[in-house]
Amino acid sequence: MSADPRRADIDRRILEWMREPRWRYSEKRFEELALELFAFQFEHCEIYRRFCDGRNQTPSNVESWRQIPAVPTSALKEVELRCFPASETVHRFRTSGTSTDVRGTLFLDTLELYEASLLPTFRRFVFPEFLLPEDRAPIRVLAPSPSEQPDSSLSHMFGVVLDALGEQGSDFDVENGELLFDRLLTVLVESAASEMPITLCGTAFAFVHLIDHMSERGVLIGLPSASRIMETGGFKGRSREVPRAELYAELKRVLGISAERIVNQYGMTELGSQFYDSVICGPSEPRRKLGPPWARVVIVDPETGHEAASGQVGSIVVVDLANTGSVLALRTGDLGRAILDGFEVIGREPGADSRGCSIGADELLERNSP
Amino acid sequence: MTPDEIAENLARLRDAGARLKRRPIGEVLDVLGTVLERWRDPDSIWRRDLEERLPAATGFTAPMVGEGLRRALGDWTSDALRELAIRELGPIDRTDPASDRQISGFDTTAVLLAGSIPMPSLLALIAPLALRSPVLAKAASRDPLTPHLVAQSIAEADAELGRCIRVVDFAAANEDCTRALLEADCICATGSDATIATLQSLTRPPRRLVVDGHRLSIAAVVPPASAERRSELAERLAIDIALWDQLGCLSPIAVFAVDPEPAHAAALAEAIAVALANAEANWPRGSIDASAAHEIAQQRAEAELRRAAGRAVAIHASDATAWTVIVEDGPAPRPAPLHRFIRVVPVPDPGRLLEAIQPLAAHLAAVAIEGFGEGTAGLARTLASLGASRVCAPGSLQSPPLDWRHAGRGVLAPLARFSDIEAIA
Repeated sequence: MSADPRRADIDRRILEWMREPRWRYSEKRFEELALELFAFQFEHCEIYRRFCDGRNQTPSNVESWRQIPAVPTSALKEVELRCFPASETVHRFRTSGTSTDVRGTLFLDTLELYEASLLPTFRRFVFPEFLLPEDRAPIRVLAPSPSEQPDSSLSHMFGVVLDALGEQGSDFDVENGELLFDRLLTVLVESAASEMPITLCGTAFAFVHLIDHMSERGVLIGLPSASRIMETGGFKGRSREVPRAELYAELKRVLGISAERIVNQYGMTELGSQFYDSVICGPSEPRRKLGPPWARVVIVDPETGHEAASGQVGSIVVVDLANTGSVLALRTGDLGRAILDGFEVIGREPGADSRGCSIGADELLERNSP
Repeated sequence: MTPDEIAENLARLRDAGARLKRRPIGEVLDVLGTVLERWRDPDSIWRRDLEERLPAATGFTAPMVGEGLRRALGDWTSDALRELAIRELGPIDRTDPASDRQISGFDTTAVLLAGSIPMPSLLALIAPLALRSPVLAKAASRDPLTPHLVAQSIAEADAELGRCIRVVDFAAANEDCTRALLEADCICATGSDATIATLQSLTRPPRRLVVDGHRLSIAAVVPPASAERRSELAERLAIDIALWDQLGCLSPIAVFAVDPEPAHAAALAEAIAVALANAEANWPRGSIDASAAHEIAQQRAEAELRRAAGRAVAIHASDATAWTVIVEDGPAPRPAPLHRFIRVVPVPDPGRLLEAIQPLAAHLAAVAIEGFGEGTAGLARTLASLGASRVCAPGSLQSPPLDWRHAGRGVLAPLARFSDIEAIA
């Protein structure tokens, strides 16, 4: 818990919400906590205060959580945003990237909110049938463990999930950057033979490697129908690029898990909370991203900076109460569109054609690098 | 459009090309010169039609299209075309079949167009014809209009030449149609580096492949001390930035302000902001999609945060995304969202300028320079040796001469076949 009493009080009330056994989406509660947290962060994070001052959007004139100035997540590669003294840092999560990339860092003085947010959200959207706290399932993770990658928020999340929701024998199947294919295959074959459903979690590119391995060896497995997959992230530089529809079709082919049992998670290092596809918790409804009551998304018209009209494509801004130690309002690098009570993420076309023959210098350097 | 239809078009063009080859190249150049003159003439039906219809086809605004064409086509005369031919091919009579050094075009040339700026399309279609090579062109998805109008204008000027150009439309992702198009004997293509790599992998030898991938341009200036001269320079830089909404390879993505005093760069940036606001009033930027607007908003927000973190970053911008000037505190490469988004980068001296440009060298198209006094010629030569195929003055980036050797090559020579016939006993 934070040493600052005001922050500790905010944290306590947000944690109460996260730990309630039954989710309540309260606009009033969110509004109050978001504005209070914004005021706290405005006062305690000098860079954020200057950012807000520059936009003339401060606690004195911001009246709704939708107006809270959002900082671009990409800027965290160059700027440190925290509302506590550096000496109180207990953990750092760093964005993924190669050794030559500049990586962004999220500084945390507590992991309590992060973990309190992720577990009920994961349960709700990946294991909605779990009714009791002790409910567990066999889970295999196609990602490195937190001991191997302590600065990876994703590995940390999977570690928490395995501890809380994984049945005995659940484990990580990536070590030293390598997918332990033979070991994983043995587990999958056993699952199919015993008709015990299994849950596979991991990065999208790890699943591409799994598909490629299985295809090369001519291995096809029909996993039990209640099995499921949670995948997240992109492919950039880690595997061949595969459109999501194709990825899901391939997963159906090699593992027998249909798209209706595959949940994409939308999360990022800079966020304390995550959003998940609705397919398992609402199978009869349109696929869309949903999150917990303490994290909201607003689609912003990039031309005006105001909330986009219904159905209009715009920039995804997340306001996340789990981010008490940094900044709660973040402008992600993604485009999206509101769908019902959720949203969908729309990939950005690199659009060389739409940009003529010119190109950003950063893109050139990326291409020129070995 | 089907692959069979493309093959049929190529066959017809081969037949038409056989007849074209019997005509003297000088005569063909005269016809094409006439076509160019018609495109230069703002009152010609072709020019008026293009100015009227291009905005709807591309998203550019009508005033911007009018100004862009006026500046770009002003010097593209019939004489300039003939001079280009002589410069690259030598005396025109060398194409006489009786000469001992013959020059000809390929039996067919496929031209794959990209982007939405009309002048490169006009030149790309005329160049093979100047060598008497019939042309099968694929229109760019962002400009389905210009190649059709150019083809019609050629047919109007000379029916036989008109039979030597055809324009086809199909989606870039249609690999079967692309493969059929790549059966031409010579292939000219512009596009993204990824598109070019795909075309290279699909092309069967032996074929001449003339490709242009990504290119970018920059400006490097010594900020004038006087406010009046600063404004005048900024007006010219704003023309370079604003025309064609910064979407061409001749559009500068950054202005390097070479001066030991960073405040002078900041003052120049302010002047550019004023000039871009004026440009917006005179030649408004066209419509952009959500992705482009998102990128501009993202880059502005990043700059705001860097400024908030105490770095010497300044932001001048319109309320919406129409134009943006960011003063950076160092030469680190950053994204270029285009659509009238310019970064002003202070560098203390020409040596540091060259260091900053070095990572971009392989993709440099043009560099606009000014204010280097006696060092101008030396700097221009250094920029040329780095890879810039054009060094010019600010304000003229968008008005390249017809004979500019884009990508360091010629306009006609890369499409030509040269034959030397030696003395034989």
